[in-house]
Amino acid sequence: MPIIEVEHLMKDFKIAKRETGFAGALKSLVKREFITKEAVKDISFTINEGEMVGYIGPNGAGKSTTIKMLTGILVPSGGHVRVNGIVPYEDRQENAKNIGVVFGQRTQLWWDLPTIESFELLKEIYQVSNERYKENMATFIDILGLDEFLNTPVRQLSLGQRMRADIAASLLHDPPILFLDEPTIGLDVVAKERMRTFIKEINKERNITVILTTHDMEDIEQLCERMVLIDHGQKVYDGEISVVKNRFGKIRTLVVDLEESKRTLQLMNGEVFKEEANRYWIRFNREEVSASEIINQITKTHNIKDLTVEEPEIESIISRIYQEGFEEISEPVRN
Amino acid sequence: MFNYRVYWTFAKKSFLRSAVYRFDVWSRLGSNIIFLLMWGSIWTALYAGKEEAGGVSFEAMLTYIVVSQFLTGVNGAGTPLWEIQEKVRTGDIALELMRPFDVPLRYLFADFGSVAFYIVTALLPLYTVLFIFMDVALPTDWLTWVYFIIASVIGFLIRYCIEMSFGLLTFFLVETGGIEDIFYFAMSLLSGSVIPLWFFPDWLATIAIYLPFQGIYYIPNSIFIGEIAGLEILTSIGIQLFWVVVTYLVLRLIWSRASKKVIVQGG
Ligand SMILES: Nc1ncnc2c1ncn2[C@@H]1O[C@H](COP(=O)(O)OP(=O)(O)OP(=O)(O)O)[C@@H](O)[C@H]1O
Ligand SMILES: [Mg+2]
Repeated sequence: MPIIEVEHLMKDFKIAKRETGFAGALKSLVKREFITKEAVKDISFTINEGEMVGYIGPNGAGKSTTIKMLTGILVPSGGHVRVNGIVPYEDRQENAKNIGVVFGQRTQLWWDLPTIESFELLKEIYQVSNERYKENMATFIDILGLDEFLNTPVRQLSLGQRMRADIAASLLHDPPILFLDEPTIGLDVVAKERMRTFIKEINKERNITVILTTHDMEDIEQLCERMVLIDHGQKVYDGEISVVKNRFGKIRTLVVDLEESKRTLQLMNGEVFKEEANRYWIRFNREEVSASEIINQITKTHNIKDLTVEEPEIESIISRIYQEGFEEISEPVRN
Repeated sequence: MFNYRVYWTFAKKSFLRSAVYRFDVWSRLGSNIIFLLMWGSIWTALYAGKEEAGGVSFEAMLTYIVVSQFLTGVNGAGTPLWEIQEKVRTGDIALELMRPFDVPLRYLFADFGSVAFYIVTALLPLYTVLFIFMDVALPTDWLTWVYFIIASVIGFLIRYCIEMSFGLLTFFLVETGGIEDIFYFAMSLLSGSVIPLWFFPDWLATIAIYLPFQGIYYIPNSIFIGEIAGLEILTSIGIQLFWVVVTYLVLRLIWSRASKKVIVQGG
């Protein structure tokens, strides 16, 4: 059953054009000109209860804008949103009870309160029962190690501590849905790992539906089975991560360093897609041709100094999808 | 839907937080005393040994200043203008839209907490001592005390609505310097906090009478020293009630515009 429904969602921002100089300032007093920025153009997806979905896209793609519309603090310019049966912007406070939100870029805890008091405040705000509060705190303290900084004011927490406090705070009232906007940003490897373990666990054990945005593909690979890929406010791909990997997994990249030669490199079933000095990056389809065949071809005309074969990382696949679109690169190598 | 417990918790938390930031309390108390001494000596100099001026005795005038400084302390313990502006600029207030409570109300209750702490631990002890040792005229009948307390509370609410409204204007302005100037000017002069309205030139007094600021200091102070007495007390409190309603409606209007701006334009 879908718990989140997004249909032809749109968001335009009107940005007042800033005129320069005195004349410009006067002009803008009389008549202000606006530029329209289409942050989200037309996005649709549904998410089922208990799913954990990676919401991926390059900077400025419209991820945070989408999340904000799901929380109700932004009104869509068009389309429909429904979160657990509620239209978020129409009933923001009711929606708030169903969702937990973490914005990695900024805390939602009260800056000048000790962490524990922020939690106590949230307990009252969401009317969490004493027993439930104690249970949840015990769990979060246990998994996230909150006890080392519970009495420290939020403003003095390190980024990693703050993020742990923030995610615990977002879950105190047992929301069925969790929005995580870059929950691992700025964390070190250990802290990231800890965060992932925690997210995985609450998704499994509490059956919480999670939407996660991140620029770290490890997060996605470890946590999500499905990803929604967006770019310039539009959906580029929506489906299983394994499909993407299989589809593009056939592509390998061969990197060769050649000795100085006047001849250019010509290949039958590989594509040179980048070259720098005497280093060449060659893309080939593993099902059509083996690496050794390509190497043989090269050695006929050139001397190889060094070579490596690169496995495709989900990261590089995604950056290619951003650049070229999902459909266009479904045929990986064109001869 | 008014969830009393949430707001009560905000009051309680900010009461406790004030206890943590004790230095803040002491430094504020220090500056309060300095301003009291300053205005006390200015008025002593202005009276220059005369028993009375403008129909008001020196003793009553001194009492006016002491009470006024007390109320300044009370009003100053709430969230100051710059902090509201800061919270608008950083987006803290915008994010609070996501919570199941009313934002202006929650700030009011947080202020109740910090103000209560400041009154109990600093202002009351200090001003009790002052009233005992200084030559000031305390109201003799209890009803005056009651009216004074009512007028002070309404004055506090008027000030809260005005300060919050000015703070929320930050949502709409790139530069807020002018706003601050107007606010502080009105708060110190037009409110009668340091110069009672009866010393104003006629034109300025007329302006001040038609503005809400006099309800913050001038009315409670004057009730305290008996300069506003009898039936006039009730009409003055009536005027205050009128202004508290008006300023509250203005605050709600600005807040609804501000939240609309946040949810449409993203802050
Ligand atoms: N309040 C706003 N006013 C005007 N434009 C905005 C506003 N918020 C976002 N935008 C614009 O909308 C676009 C999408 O922004 P958004 O924050 O959703 O991107 P994102 O996918 O979260 O990017 P990132 O990965 O950098 O966080 C950007 O071009 C941004 O400049
Ligand atoms: Mg973002």
